[in-house]
Amino acid sequence: MEVTNVERADELIRKAIFAAAEFQQFNQEQTDKVVEAVYKAGLNARISLAKMATEETGMGIWEHKVWKNVIGTQLVYESIKNEKTVGIISDDPITGITEIAQPLGPVFAVTPVTNPTSTAMYKILIALKTRNPIIISAHRGAAKCTAEAARICYEAAMAAGAPEDCIQMIPSGSREFTQMVMAHPKIALILATGGTGLVKAAYSSGNPAIGVGPGNVPVFIDESADIPFAVSNILSSKTFDNGTICASEQSIVVVDKIEQKVKEEFENQHCYFLTNEEIKKVEKIAVVEGAMTMNPLVVGQSVDTIARLAGITVPEGTKILLAKLAGVGKDYPLSHEVLAPILAFYSCKDYNAAINICLDLNYLGGIGHSAGIYANDERVIMEFSQLINAGRIVVNTPTSQGAVGGTFNLLVPSLTLGCGTGGKNITTENITARHLINVQRVCRRRINHKFMDADQRMYFDENCTEAVLKLEYHKNH
Amino acid sequence: MLKSDYNKSEKVLTCAFTGHLDTNSCIILNNEVNAAIDIIKSADNTATLTDTTIIFDVSGVSYIASSFIRICVNMARQVPKGNFSMINCDPFIKKTFIIAGLDELLKVK
Repeated sequence: MEVTNVERADELIRKAIFAAAEFQQFNQEQTDKVVEAVYKAGLNARISLAKMATEETGMGIWEHKVWKNVIGTQLVYESIKNEKTVGIISDDPITGITEIAQPLGPVFAVTPVTNPTSTAMYKILIALKTRNPIIISAHRGAAKCTAEAARICYEAAMAAGAPEDCIQMIPSGSREFTQMVMAHPKIALILATGGTGLVKAAYSSGNPAIGVGPGNVPVFIDESADIPFAVSNILSSKTFDNGTICASEQSIVVVDKIEQKVKEEFENQHCYFLTNEEIKKVEKIAVVEGAMTMNPLVVGQSVDTIARLAGITVPEGTKILLAKLAGVGKDYPLSHEVLAPILAFYSCKDYNAAINICLDLNYLGGIGHSAGIYANDERVIMEFSQLINAGRIVVNTPTSQGAVGGTFNLLVPSLTLGCGTGGKNITTENITARHLINVQRVCRRRINHKFMDADQRMYFDENCTEAVLKLEYHKNH
Repeated sequence: MLKSDYNKSEKVLTCAFTGHLDTNSCIILNNEVNAAIDIIKSADNTATLTDTTIIFDVSGVSYIASSFIRICVNMARQVPKGNFSMINCDPFIKKTFIIAGLDELLKVK
């Protein structure tokens, strides 16, 4: 008899629930032993998984994917290894509040094609650290390498005493099945990192979700910036794995006064400014007309490949293609997010105009995600930061590595970047283990004497205004 | 360390367990429980347990692996609905069955 999708989903979930039931009995020591074993196995497999991911997806640069795997294992592990995630995690005798961590239950994780193995291992680590079983749904373009990463982690977890089925993969290819599992009432949380469609599906599932979709990262180079330093940093970020990190720079914005200097610096560092005719050709292959979404054909590709696809010739050794644009929106396809070594470039008459362009880019498709600024004027940094709607405003730092955290700053290393309510998230933080626990608070009796000592009858007297009640509340305290 | 005891009286099979029922212990335990069931079947000369009651006494159990949950489900399937129950359950273990969504089905007390 043929097994239906419903039966397959129920079986998958049943296994996850049994694993959750066993897992909740683990103490911190047992949990940490599993996490350490998984981290070691993942880190040891960083090179083979990186090569496998590059080969299977046809995207990015394997050496850079090695670094991503290091971030997803070693840096994530180092950031969570000492965290208390089991039982009593804090106890404050002054407030009388004790916090107890409880696992959530089965976590459903969607992993992207752009960072497949690193995202899978990172999600596995934070799920196991919090005693949650995880079910991974890989992008169909990265199914094999993601499954291999999950297998390596699962074997290590089992050897360290983890519950059976604490890591499961769902077969790729069936969107209907994925959505069925995602919407299963026994799924405790969805951790969705990927394209707009899947992230939307996660939020529509009826289950709690942390979904991180596209970004459209504007980077402002202020007059006060060290321009060669800024350009060099932007290059190291935008060329990292051929621009596949969603926090990578999408647009560079400057004021006219420094435009020439910035352009020369980009050219000195082997970048190429497209002509208007070339921009049209690149637009056609980089952005899907009408939908204004990036064309998967160019995602994670090298400049040479993009140039060949567009039918243009660029100087040998070109690292990034820059397109000087006059505006933002549907008439300017390259003002949208493209995860490839292509940058939009804007030069504006003054500071205000430049910031306005940054805001337009920010709200075009990257609300709540990330932004960058190069400046040595604290006032400018703070003004920009308060205007931009981004979870991370990365200062004098490559945005890819800066937003992910753990290398250029002290942000929590993460491959899922919360985008706040703008991105339909509940948080703007970098998602880590602490987001995967339910914190229970034991609240011991601590009397609010201000309230208790106040004449309670006054609250029922219509003539007692706020001013009177305020005085009464603070009286003798 | 797993300790187990099997007691058959009339139509009631009582299996008492103590200790840490991890995955490895459950392999042994599964064989033992199935052997006890086979004895009943063979004594009653039947392939099914239509009028047998199975009770798991878990008073001394400090930890259960998911394999033990599977054993419980398998046992509950072999007897008529309601004829499987678990007694003397530590709250910590009861919670495990609640999380697994099986506390009612398995009559965890």
